[in-house]
Amino acid sequence: MNLSDLAYMFPMQPAGQYSRDRCVTGVHGLDEILRGGIPYGSTVLASGTCGSGKTTLGMEFLVRGADSGEACAHFTATEPSVKLLENIRQFKFFDIKMVDSGLINVFDMDVLYSWLGLEKSSFDLDDVHSLIKAIVDIVNTIGVTRLVIDSVTTLCYKIKSEQLIRDFLFTLGKKLATLGCTTILIAEITSATENAHWSSFGVEEAIADGIIVLGDVERMGHLLRFLQVVKMRGTSHSRAKHAIELTPLGVMLTPMLKWGAMSDKQNRWGA
Amino acid sequence: MIMFELDQGIADQLTEVALNSAVQVRCGNSNAFMVTASTMLPLLQSFEMSGVYISASRGAAEIIEAFEAIGVDVSHIQFLDLVSSGILGGTNVPYSNVHFVDSPIMLESVLLRTLYILKTMDSERNFVLLDSVNSLAIYNEDRMLAEYLHTFINTFRQQEVLSVILNVPDQTPPLVLSNLDLYCTDLIDRGQVVIH
Repeated sequence: MNLSDLAYMFPMQPAGQYSRDRCVTGVHGLDEILRGGIPYGSTVLASGTCGSGKTTLGMEFLVRGADSGEACAHFTATEPSVKLLENIRQFKFFDIKMVDSGLINVFDMDVLYSWLGLEKSSFDLDDVHSLIKAIVDIVNTIGVTRLVIDSVTTLCYKIKSEQLIRDFLFTLGKKLATLGCTTILIAEITSATENAHWSSFGVEEAIADGIIVLGDVERMGHLLRFLQVVKMRGTSHSRAKHAIELTPLGVMLTPMLKWGAMSDKQNRWGA
Repeated sequence: MIMFELDQGIADQLTEVALNSAVQVRCGNSNAFMVTASTMLPLLQSFEMSGVYISASRGAAEIIEAFEAIGVDVSHIQFLDLVSSGILGGTNVPYSNVHFVDSPIMLESVLLRTLYILKTMDSERNFVLLDSVNSLAIYNEDRMLAEYLHTFINTFRQQEVLSVILNVPDQTPPLVLSNLDLYCTDLIDRGQVVIH
């Protein structure tokens, strides 16, 4: 066999010809950063400090999907669904009819725990598997293609072993991907600086297909929100910091000024 | 109504510019308002444009009142006020067309808020007036401001929104000034005030 035979068997294609189908987030600027959107079926960790816009980003991701007729689900563990919907109603992009019509389905994790008999402080292997089964069953029954769990950190606090957290996220991600569901797992972190972990338990970031970090840059006493795509399997993407603004029309992004991207706490301001 | 003599030469010069232009308008301390009004009026009345007025020099309410005093209706101009949030009670204004950004150092927020306001406007022919570079220079480091103006101008040029950038040159750092000269497509120079 010579090289020409190989070429016949494995025809050369120009680099970049193949690209995975995308879940177009619809968030202003984010699809541009992701060169078209999140690869379908990915599990993406959206890690951020408090007030950085994680919940709004997650909800807009669902609303944009619902806009195009996709069935979406939101599992809320940090605040009751009633409160979540009240907070999100201030945004013009959100229409409560999407909830009423069943395009966006909001589930309280507490209710789910109660339904599954998981009203306990910590979960064992069986509990984790019944939780995965319940989530997957909901996704499968409704035909959910966009899912947000807010937050996976609150959920994982109940799973005491690092190995079990890894199993939980890996199995959940795998099953959701099989169903063609693109998932955003919201994670709470205390710091979004260069040396920080992108998750609370350290294992979520390794399991996730993508990591979007949200945080604040302090500039002369003011906090400026930023978003940065650190990792996204299956696509090239920008890794630059982008300033974000939570407007009534949704999240808006613009590249952060290079001379202003560093916190003045980092002692590089105007250096 | 206060009698006010506008600079007709500015209106004449504005007829030459395209929607994707970036016009630097240089003025002095004493003629700043006359030059601003002479720039705004043709845009509003002759070219029937709508726009966003970014005020970094004075609070938006004060600017609106100054325009009203010379008989200019600015109710359909949206104001983005970068000054009043820094003043206790400053954001309590009786105008619904005023929006606020916390501080003139939140430059990216200013850009995003402006884009958001433009998205909410019905008009297809819009301008963004930045008042002024020298005011932003009080708060922002030279290199960052130069970088910002580069982004600002190119963003609006790409969207076919006319940028009008007011500037008092003798109060603007040389680095920013030279960059502004480089990025802008047109110059209206009223920086030298002749006293008759």
